[in-house]
Amino acid sequence: MSKVMPMKEAVQRYVIDGDFLFIGGYICRTPFAAVHEIIRQKKRDLTITRSNAADDFDMMIGAGVVKRFIGTFLSLGLYGLGRCYRRSIEKEIPHKIELEEYTNLSLPMMLMAGSMGMPFVPVKDMAGSDLLNVKSFMGEDKYKVIDSPFDGSPTVLVPALNPDVAIIHVQQADEMGNAQIWGIGGDCKVGANAAKKVIVSCERIVSREVIGKDPSRTIVPDFKVAAVVEEPFGAHPGYTPGFYDVDFSFGSLYQQASNTVEGFEEFLNEWVFDVEDRTAYVGHYIERFGYPTFKNLEAAFDFGYPVSYAY
Amino acid sequence: MHTHPDDYIKPELMACCGAREITDGNIVIVGTGFPTMSANIAKYTNAPNATLMQESGVYDARPVRPALSVGDPCLNPGAAMIGGLVDVMGMFLQSGWVDVGFLSGSQVDKFGNINTTVIGDYEKPTSRLPGSGGANPIGSLAKKILIIALHDKRRLSERVDFITTPGYIDGPGSREKRGLPAGTGPGVIITNKAVLRFDDDTKEAYLATYHPDSSVDEVVSLTPWDLKVSDDVHETEPPREEELRVVREILDPFGMIKIYEGRGYV
Repeated sequence: MSKVMPMKEAVQRYVIDGDFLFIGGYICRTPFAAVHEIIRQKKRDLTITRSNAADDFDMMIGAGVVKRFIGTFLSLGLYGLGRCYRRSIEKEIPHKIELEEYTNLSLPMMLMAGSMGMPFVPVKDMAGSDLLNVKSFMGEDKYKVIDSPFDGSPTVLVPALNPDVAIIHVQQADEMGNAQIWGIGGDCKVGANAAKKVIVSCERIVSREVIGKDPSRTIVPDFKVAAVVEEPFGAHPGYTPGFYDVDFSFGSLYQQASNTVEGFEEFLNEWVFDVEDRTAYVGHYIERFGYPTFKNLEAAFDFGYPVSYAY
Repeated sequence: MHTHPDDYIKPELMACCGAREITDGNIVIVGTGFPTMSANIAKYTNAPNATLMQESGVYDARPVRPALSVGDPCLNPGAAMIGGLVDVMGMFLQSGWVDVGFLSGSQVDKFGNINTTVIGDYEKPTSRLPGSGGANPIGSLAKKILIIALHDKRRLSERVDFITTPGYIDGPGSREKRGLPAGTGPGVIITNKAVLRFDDDTKEAYLATYHPDSSVDEVVSLTPWDLKVSDDVHETEPPREEELRVVREILDPFGMIKIYEGRGYV
């Protein structure tokens, strides 16, 4: 039975207030359509995680849907520090999120452990840093330092993470959820496979036959997937390799807007609350900036290079 | 002998200083800005067989313009391998394959400890910074760390407010005691005024070379700790003609490196 549904329904059915969410992406394939829908539905008390968080996490924090963040980093990249993130931590606007901090090695390893059913995993980083001197809601379970049972050396252990839901944006998936990506992976594969269920947002839905033409590209198998949502342009203002480029101007627009609470709220109204779904968002984008600007983001066409699995 | 044109800007000089720290055949993990520029200058000059990787999952990218982030779309086409964080940070970095890592910091101290987490108190920060990202693992596990910093009494400090990424922590033996791998740690701090290196015995940064428009006195006066000066302190070699040609004609034809002047690298 097909798992294809609109984003509105996927978020209503599978994202519950208080849930722990992995939200994939690395500028590459940010699931922005889903992030906007979560904000639009005014979800509450979410715990969110990913390595190298960016504008999408900043926006969710500013919109007040986040209670806790298991993170490593949050910035707007070229555009500097996350404004909403700073306001939350420094000024408690709209409220102060609780923050548990790891690194871009330890957090992916924790998700990897979760994806493999391992209870914890040793990591060689964080030792000697103040990251081991700050603990928040995970308390003593943030990490443990033991003498290695093998050679006696001091070893940092971090716990496995198993999010309630993972949301990822991919190039293509079939109706059952076999999801394929190409290009920069970030922690998408381990994050998605660590979760109890997965919402797959994709540029295009393809047949099972197309998936089978290059099965090595599949990062999540259908049995882990609860919903498949076709959202062309769904990662904007991030990019999707082979489909469209990063929208640097829009990144700047967000930075300018989020400099103030008022500007941020106007931005949310314009791009989230006043548009019903991703189709309306794209329509508004074209209306606001013109079709040539939209078309200009489109990736150059490339025939690629076919692979053969013949034997 | 090398010729040295005198129309370079400071970020170009700093990028060249970074390039000269790379040895042929090195495996280098880079971020954006100077680091990428340095590593690529090295590939075209002194280290043609060096290879680069980005933490996001890319190995040996062949971008046609400077990457603006480690997730930049231009890193995808032409790379030798693309995976994810577990591949690069786990299978390559944690397993000990990475020779050189570049890091920058809002605050860097005399032991090469780097702060990118908070200015002020952690619970009530004056300024909340981005956090570790890949910095802590790179600084913990790459064999040699090159640190890029602005040279003033705010960015350099006797002791950072928060150790996001360990340098030599409290001095000799600190890294080993905490379980960090032997033979790793900061090698150099490249600032807009000077190149600082680390004393083998004390693990403290000392002045090795000062940039052409600076001086020993200026560097010492801008450094918030009692900066030791090398016995053979001398002027930093300015960018060579060949290095500048690589930067301007091949790597950065649109001069994007100039934005670093606006960020204080003058």
